[in-house]
Amino acid sequence: MGQGNSKIEVTKADKAILQLKISKDELHRYTKHTETLVFNERKRLKSLLREDPKGGTKNPRARILLKKIHYQSRLLDQAADQLINLENLVATVEFKLVERQFMAGLKQGNEVLTRLNREFKGAEDLMDSVAEQIAYQEEIDQVLSSSVVGGFEEELDRELEALDQEVNGTVNVPENSAIGAGEELGLPDVPADKPVVSPEMPSTGELPRIQDPDKAHERAGTQTKSEPQRERALA
Amino acid sequence: MTENLPPIYNFPPLYTCQPNVLIREQQLNTWCDLLLEYAKNNNAWCINQEGFIMGTSESNNNTIFKNESIQRAAPAPFIDQIWRKMLQSQKVVKSSSGVYFMLWRTIDYWSSLMLQWFETCGKLNQVVTLYELLEGDESLNWEFHGMHQSLCEECLQRLCDRGRATLLKEQNKVMGIKVL
Repeated sequence: MGQGNSKIEVTKADKAILQLKISKDELHRYTKHTETLVFNERKRLKSLLREDPKGGTKNPRARILLKKIHYQSRLLDQAADQLINLENLVATVEFKLVERQFMAGLKQGNEVLTRLNREFKGAEDLMDSVAEQIAYQEEIDQVLSSSVVGGFEEELDRELEALDQEVNGTVNVPENSAIGAGEELGLPDVPADKPVVSPEMPSTGELPRIQDPDKAHERAGTQTKSEPQRERALA
Repeated sequence: MTENLPPIYNFPPLYTCQPNVLIREQQLNTWCDLLLEYAKNNNAWCINQEGFIMGTSESNNNTIFKNESIQRAAPAPFIDQIWRKMLQSQKVVKSSSGVYFMLWRTIDYWSSLMLQWFETCGKLNQVVTLYELLEGDESLNWEFHGMHQSLCEECLQRLCDRGRATLLKEQNKVMGIKVL
């Protein structure tokens, strides 16, 4: 299958087109020939009239020449029509060839599609079974979650609370929730510990106060997260 | 027809065979260039032995080897020598009927130009007759328009050798070509 050996095949259709085109060429040649003929005769007629300006129009030779020119140009028209016909025919044949290829492609595509579809034959059963399995899975999930989550978790919570009370003595939980408000009020004491930090920051009167919530944040862990952003905006 | 040739064409000593070998060599080369230039200017695909352009509809009675304006003509033996030089340098191809095909471009150039025509005109994978290629309306603006058929066959043969084309024969005559 070397490139040099691959022969371009000549089909019957090619042969037929060649015949068509040869006859078309013949017509084309004829048209060209006739065109020059008409042109030359017209020239001759003109020169004839120029030679004999008075009797030129009555000259029988001139009449005959004009007649001939007309006859030739009529033939020329016919030839042109036929030429167009032939060209149309060639174009149609060529288009049909393309269409044939198109049909072949379509056929092949269809074949492949049917073959692929055949492979999907068991799809319905498969889908049914999948749906069944999923439903079953959901069922299992529900059973499991209801048995674990219901009651048991609450019990755990209660037990944990009881333990907490036992260990910490006082009620710890409410303090936890109050920390956010309580710390902010109690804070003014804290900045006194670290005056070193504030000079490094841009000197704004507000700054130390803004740092406080930060520290409060560290301690409480639940402070508002917008604080650092506010600090940056001020800087 | 000889108006556009370089001024050396009107140089009288050009028409006599120079005795000195070196000068003669130069002289022959000049003649080769002149002939090709002449052929190109006049679209003269074939020129016969005497220097007349063949195959054109209009009759012309002057040969390139005769310069009327300076009343000089190259003698026949010298003309022979010029043609031999042309053949030797592959600027012409002699046909079986004895006329010379002028190659102001190489055959390879022509074949690739034709291939270009096939590609730009969308004629690939179609049957095209040689007449259509050489005389048809679609190749009017191409340089190979009007080329002699046998020279064209030579060019197309190159395309076949490259595996790009097949020649279609009809009654033992190459009539069409199919280019892939």
